[in-house]
Amino acid sequence: MQPFGLDLDYVAVVALFCVGLYMLVAKSNLLKKLLGLNVMETSVFAFIVTAGMVEGGDPPIMVAGTSAPYASPIPHAMVLTGIVVAVSVTAVALALIVQIHAHFGTIEIDELKELP
Amino acid sequence: MRPWSLLLVLLVALPLVAGVATLPPHDAPDAPIHTQVGALYLERGVAETGMKNLVTAVLLNYRGFDTFIEVVVIFTALAAVLALPKGSAPLPKGNAPLPKGSAPVPKGNAPLPQPDAARSQGVGGARSREEEAPEVASDVPVSPVVRFVVRLLAPFIAMFAVAMLFRGHITPGGGFQAAAVFAAVFIALGLVLGQDRAARLVPVDWRPWLQGVAPLAFALVAWIGWRLTGAFLGYPIDDHTVQEAMGFVLEIAIAVGGGVVLARIFLEMET
Repeated sequence: MQPFGLDLDYVAVVALFCVGLYMLVAKSNLLKKLLGLNVMETSVFAFIVTAGMVEGGDPPIMVAGTSAPYASPIPHAMVLTGIVVAVSVTAVALALIVQIHAHFGTIEIDELKELP
Repeated sequence: MRPWSLLLVLLVALPLVAGVATLPPHDAPDAPIHTQVGALYLERGVAETGMKNLVTAVLLNYRGFDTFIEVVVIFTALAAVLALPKGSAPLPKGNAPLPKGSAPVPKGNAPLPQPDAARSQGVGGARSREEEAPEVASDVPVSPVVRFVVRLLAPFIAMFAVAMLFRGHITPGGGFQAAAVFAAVFIALGLVLGQDRAARLVPVDWRPWLQGVAPLAFALVAWIGWRLTGAFLGYPIDDHTVQEAMGFVLEIAIAVGGGVVLARIFLEMET
């Protein structure tokens, strides 16, 4: 379905990306910012996987029971790389947030700015 | 709240929508993603790599360097988390069983006197928040229902991870997926049983090796491939048994190493 020449699957991905971006810039809680970043990352993964799928496609595993057309194997491998990087970023960011909370007692940007 | 946020989101959304409008439909078989190198992999992948799961073939063979660096990245993330000084706030319970992590504690306290000074002067809302936090963070009672269900399901979820690892060559799945599920079981158990009991699942003496096993196995396999074929991380193209063995070692190392790294990151968060 393509109203105005737009692929609705891709538009949904863009919408999800924008939700994440809004969380990232509008919220002052560091955890919520991190959640927004993760929503943005998820939208990018969804975009790549969506692009790799083909009409009526099977998973690219060459065993009895699957047949052409196959989904492209490259996006799946690429997304795995992206997920690993996203997990790593999230882990380090969470550790930093724990540190910030331990040192300053708050993870609100507004309150952190007021600290001397 | 912040009016420019919505404006910024709109400014980003418009070029994105304009961009995706120029793309071919997402399921068209003649899109470039299905006609270029992806088609070559589908055509020759099994013959060249000996792996029936072509996602694994791309991961371990065609893009092996990518995956090598990937496991290094997640190992580096753990190193970064461990390198942070343990919080200057008094720890609720001295957590001794972490050999490397516990060392920087005294150093971490020293060079940061300002936050403590600021806090003792009382900085408005920050201080009350800080005093409330420990009550919330520490002993939240776990519902008996949740504890029972998690303990009941844990072995089955772990078995699912094992199945994903060992059936990954002919079904969707593989080392990274198994690692994620292993870590999820560990974290669920850690949340209901307490971190100390979960931590015993990973012996302290083995931790440094288990955390680094994925990059180490990749280096070993890459060296073996170099000896066999003359190319770093090369796979002998006409010996499918050796190819499968190399891929199998890598998958197991990724599952164990990735799972232990994620579990250790969780343990570091809790303390």
